[in-house]
This record gives sequence, C-alpha cells and structure tokens, in this order.
Amino acid sequence: MESIGLAGELAAAERGAAAPYVTYPPTPWWYAVSVGAWVAALVGTFTWWRESVGLFVGSLAALIALELLFLVWMRRRHGALPMPGTGTPPPEIARVWRAYFAALPLVALAVWLVWWLVGVPAAAGTSFVLVTVGLTVYERRYAAAAAATRARLR
Amino acid sequence: MIDGLDPVIHVPKRLGAMAVLANAPTVTFRFLKDHLGISDSDLSRQMSTLESAGYVSATKLGHGRGGGTTYRITPEGRTAYDTHCAALRALIDASR
Repeated sequence: MESIGLAGELAAAERGAAAPYVTYPPTPWWYAVSVGAWVAALVGTFTWWRESVGLFVGSLAALIALELLFLVWMRRRHGALPMPGTGTPPPEIARVWRAYFAALPLVALAVWLVWWLVGVPAAAGTSFVLVTVGLTVYERRYAAAAAATRARLR
Repeated sequence: MIDGLDPVIHVPKRLGAMAVLANAPTVTFRFLKDHLGISDSDLSRQMSTLESAGYVSATKLGHGRGGGTTYRITPEGRTAYDTHCAALRALIDASR
C-alpha cells in the first residue's frame, strides 16, 4: 500500500477538499454583466404581472430555463462546481460566501425600495447595476481568497 | 488496519478523490485526473475500487475513455470519508 504518513495523508485530503473551490477556469468577462441583465430581466417581467399573466409566466419560465442551462454549462465547464450546503469550504472561501449571502437581502431591499418609490423599470435598472457591480466585487474577492487558500495548502 | 481508518480510502489517490467528491455535487473524470495528476487508466482503476465499495456512483454521459464520466459520492461514501478523516486527525493528535 502506498504511504505518505498520516500528516501527509491529512494534508492531501485538505488539498482535495479545497480543490473544487480553488481550481476553476477563468471567469468569462461577460459573466457579471450577463447575470446583472438576467436579474434585471427577471424584475422587468413584473411589468406584465397585472397586464398579461401569459406573458408574465412565459417570460419567467424562459428566464428560469435560461438559468438552468447556464448552471449546466457552468457545471460542465468547471468540472467540480461547489454548491453551498455540499461539503465544507476552506475558511478563506467561507468568509467570502458569508459576505455574499449577507449582501443578497440588502440588494433585494434596495431593489424593492426603488420599485416601490419609482416603479418596475427603475427597479430593473437598479438591480442590473447592483448585481453587476456586486458580482464583479465578489469575483475579485473570491479570486483573492482562492489564491490565499492555494498558498496556505501548498 | 488501525481502528477507524478505511482500507479502501487509505490509499492516497483514493483519499484525494474522495476529498474532492465530498465537496461538489458531481465531479468529472477530467477534474479528478488533473487534480490527482495520474493517468486515465490509473484513475479508472482507483474509481472502480471506490465504486465497488459503494462509495461513489458513476454516470457516463458520452463516448470515449473517461471523458464523459461524472462521479458522485454516495451517503455510505460520505460517512466512510468523514470517519476516515476523523480517525486520521485523532491519530495525529494522539501522536503529538
């Protein structure tokens, strides 16, 4: 049987456990903008909420289908796409994820406020800006956290 | 074999594969190959052993050797992996 010693074995397990979080292909330049546009479109569908149920439900279904296709593509491209709730992220990544999930309700609240005060088109625009900027910041922080994790486990 | 250490997972390549599988819903053959730095045939052999033990399940999506195969850890595999890692940590702590 191959042997690398118990400590070496545990270190190999830690590197393996971190691999799905820190080994990933470069994020495409259009990623943040596309997700921002998707969320804006999602908010925008509510324009038809009271006017045309068919249009509203159809647009919603098309957007959800698009998101599912995107997730399948992401999963295949990454090879081991980690998902919250599956496994234990390294502490550096866990910190970034916590900040991400803490920011989500704040973005939703800001979009809802604009919707309430100004209307759906303005809320869609706000969500586009907030999601695009927020994801760009998140991607940068994630890349830094992944680099720190790789350096720690080297 | 020392108590708690699983002889199937104790092999470093298989432990590395199980560690990856425990942290993603599905993992492709290519990702495991790149992470472990081993040949197609070696990875196929190691994954077959894990499959035979009931620790992983495989889904073949396309043609070609290993290219379209994805793996998923089973509940038994997750329990075995967690138990093995806990035993490793306990042994290391005890030796300090």
